Amino acid sequence: MSRKILIVEDDVATGDYLAKGLVEAGFAVERAVDGRDGLYLASEAGFDLIVADRMLPGIDGLAMVSALRAAGVATPVLILSALATVDHRVDGLRAGADDYLVKPFSFAELSARVEALLRRRERAGGERTPSRLVVGDMEIDLLARTVTRAGRAIPLGTREFSLLEYLARNAGHVVTRTMMLEKIWNYHFDPGSNVVDVHIGRLRRKLEDGFPAPILHTVRGAGYRLSA
Amino acid sequence: MTRPRLSVTARLALLAVALSLLSNLALIGLIRHQAHGDAIDALRREVVEQADALGAVGRSGGAGALRRSIERTLDDADDPALVIAVVDRGGRRLAGAGPDRIAPPGRPLGFRIEALASADPWSQDAGYVVARAGPDWLLVGRLLDDRQLGERALERALALAALLSLALGVAAGLVLARYVGGRLDRIADVADRVAAGDLSRRVAMVADGRDAFDRLGGRVNVMLDRVERLMEELRLVTDSLAHDLRSPLARLRSHAESALGAPDGPPREAALASLIAETDLVMRMLATLLEISRSEAMSRDRLAPTDAAALIESIAELYAPAAEDAGLTFEVAVERAPAALPLHRELLSQAVANLLDNALAHAARGGGIVLRLTGGAEALTIAVEDRGPGIAVADRARALARFGRLDEARSRPGAGLGLALIAAVARFHGGRLELDDNAPGLIARIVIPRPATLDRADAAP
Repeated sequence: MSRKILIVEDDVATGDYLAKGLVEAGFAVERAVDGRDGLYLASEAGFDLIVADRMLPGIDGLAMVSALRAAGVATPVLILSALATVDHRVDGLRAGADDYLVKPFSFAELSARVEALLRRRERAGGERTPSRLVVGDMEIDLLARTVTRAGRAIPLGTREFSLLEYLARNAGHVVTRTMMLEKIWNYHFDPGSNVVDVHIGRLRRKLEDGFPAPILHTVRGAGYRLSA
Repeated sequence: MTRPRLSVTARLALLAVALSLLSNLALIGLIRHQAHGDAIDALRREVVEQADALGAVGRSGGAGALRRSIERTLDDADDPALVIAVVDRGGRRLAGAGPDRIAPPGRPLGFRIEALASADPWSQDAGYVVARAGPDWLLVGRLLDDRQLGERALERALALAALLSLALGVAAGLVLARYVGGRLDRIADVADRVAAGDLSRRVAMVADGRDAFDRLGGRVNVMLDRVERLMEELRLVTDSLAHDLRSPLARLRSHAESALGAPDGPPREAALASLIAETDLVMRMLATLLEISRSEAMSRDRLAPTDAAALIESIAELYAPAAEDAGLTFEVAVERAPAALPLHRELLSQAVANLLDNALAHAARGGGIVLRLTGGAEALTIAVEDRGPGIAVADRARALARFGRLDEARSRPGAGLGLALIAAVARFHGGRLELDDNAPGLIARIVIPRPATLDRADAAP
């Protein structure tokens, strides 16, 4: 069964762009053009995810999220917004949105975030929090916080371990630099230099040196993917 | 429905008139009440009674009886101040005592006080009545004695005082209204001119800022200063945007053109990749600009108690690998870790990140970067010290201005907004950004005064 995504966006061009990309990525898509319709649809049909613009006619995106949360609808919401400052983002997340993406965005960034939100929801609905993550020949023990690959222990620093855990939870899917900055470092700004890539480079050397197959892949123009 | 309304100035004038009149009349009334004697009242009673009695004699006994009665009364009284006379229609005295001639009465006159004639002693004030006596007139009265004269003078003076107080009240009201109106007009005039677009106008101080109007004007000036600064910021942002977005957009366009003409495969991909990179650069410029503008207009309630040492260590942890990869030593020095104080964690982290980005870009290879946090009693200082070429003293102001990049060629990507954002963040925290010489190299220092010292400054007289 394909997963259903509700797009609430008053700008037709952006809406078309989102719908086209998400349909191509294999999602079923429904659309609303204002907050009122969006709120109505979101509380009726069972969507897996809502992608909503922040500034909408009628009810704005954040008010819609608050209303949904007050009505007990827990569907994850990704807010899109041209309001780009750090405080805008933090306010958006505080209002009950699960993620916040600033316009203009690359579709790769949006799709990575959509996938991550959906996986988080599925994990939450599924079995208990796992104590072990396995990616190919790599095993991550979340309780002991140790990593082995092909039976060989790989010593990692605290931050490196958090980074690897986050990549492993999204194994097989792209994780972008900004997603890592937000989740691992809790920064909502964009540092000018390639600081995240340097962290990934170090982690990659530890994970791949001495092993025949790569496991941490670079996805050009998007981010990184952990997969066997 | 429109009610005719008086201008505020006119109402103010009327109020001043009414108040001065009220207070003066109260005072006059009090004096009159306290000083009022009954000498004039006694005179009135005596004169009126005598006139009534003689009038009755005249009506019952005729002219002869009246004249006899008058003679008797005058003899009995033997008082040169007493006036009792019969006068004819032309005002000539026919009998009795009094002036030879008075102004023809023409009609009966009630009690009044005035001079009866011009010849002495009748030029003095006398209280008298005039009643009919057949075809002639009966004049009954008495010259005022000293006490009665004094009382009369007092009454006159009080009446004059009441008149004078009305006139003075009107004058005072007009002066007051003119003054208040004038002072207010100065402020209104400034507001009008500002509304018409001349933002540089300010209210001039008249009393060195000591009176209420000056205080109001002062507040208006402070408000206008802030409005002007924000407008100036806005103008600067739009001007700089228009000017400085040109070059990245031009590069963007040329990348797009070369992608269009490039053969399929790697060359085209490379052109498209640089197109995206250039787009990201423009977007980052915009984001930074927005952050600067917003931080200048943001209220301080965005600040939350934050452990500065943890903030510094966290950002250092993010940047340390990048510095090491660039062949630089990276040292974090926390001196006297301060207690938590109100900071904007994200903005301050971003500012420090920008300082570190600059240091990474400029530090000489093999040199080092020091990120130093100093918590003092007065202020919190975050310094980034590098061993790069530094910035000459003369260029420092330009380095802090928006888009003020020092390498004019702008060959390297980088929007030149870094230091401006850092300065804006420092200002938002009530602090400042200082550039200093590291001999060699640059020390960029964010100095944030501790709130306690702010409080003390506020509490100081």
